[in-house]
Amino acid sequence: MTEGTVAPVPSDEPKSAATVTDVLGHLEQEGEIAADYLEALLDIADLDGDIDMDVEGDRASVSIIGEAPGADRSLLRLVGQDGEVLEALQELTRLAVHRETGERSRLMLDIAGFRARKRAELAELGAQAAKEAKESGTPVKLRAMTPFERKVVHDAVAAAGLRSESEGEEPQRRVVVLPA
Amino acid sequence: MLEEALEHLVKGIVENPDEVQVRSRELRRGRILEVRVHPEDLGKVIGRGGRTARALRTVVTALGGRSVRVDLVDVDGVR
Repeated sequence: MTEGTVAPVPSDEPKSAATVTDVLGHLEQEGEIAADYLEALLDIADLDGDIDMDVEGDRASVSIIGEAPGADRSLLRLVGQDGEVLEALQELTRLAVHRETGERSRLMLDIAGFRARKRAELAELGAQAAKEAKESGTPVKLRAMTPFERKVVHDAVAAAGLRSESEGEEPQRRVVVLPA
Repeated sequence: MLEEALEHLVKGIVENPDEVQVRSRELRRGRILEVRVHPEDLGKVIGRGGRTARALRTVVTALGGRSVRVDLVDVDGVR
């Protein structure tokens, strides 16, 4: 019944190397399970898309992109308003991975470059806010954001050499950029 | 296509995929897709705070439009 489940690799190798390999192998396995789940959905829904798998930092990442330039349009149904459908599909895909591996997955799904675009916009926003905080010498408060959005902004602020923190409760939690 | 898509999405996340059934019923005002799963899997397709059921509905609506409803049927051992 659990087809596709891979038996755990016995770790009698030197520990650090084995651990790194295990983690990477595990994330790659997550990507493959996710890709199978999504590919079958695309087939059923008669949507064309290529599936890319990657490991970014400590998570697996899977992207569905149009097969030809400009072919992303039909995939936008799976993104939805403000990425609503994308979030739902990511949630289901993580559950499908969990079913196979028995472990909670933090896999990131992107469709038609939605997250990549969003990430670029937010990085720009973070850089602008850092500049503003530096010049004014006062904290800059940004709008409420999702955890994913805040992470991108924090990273951009750090890259600009400043510190930032989050304040407030979800879903009203927001980033505050601190002046140097 | 819609039943098949929903069936696939549900089968991938439950422990008893062979017991997943999706039936489509045409109503005057649209369609209802009735999902039946093994009783032990019901919690799984509902999810914490209804999160998984909501995700399934969101994807089905994206594929089939707003006139489609998804019902999770509690069979509770009747089969």
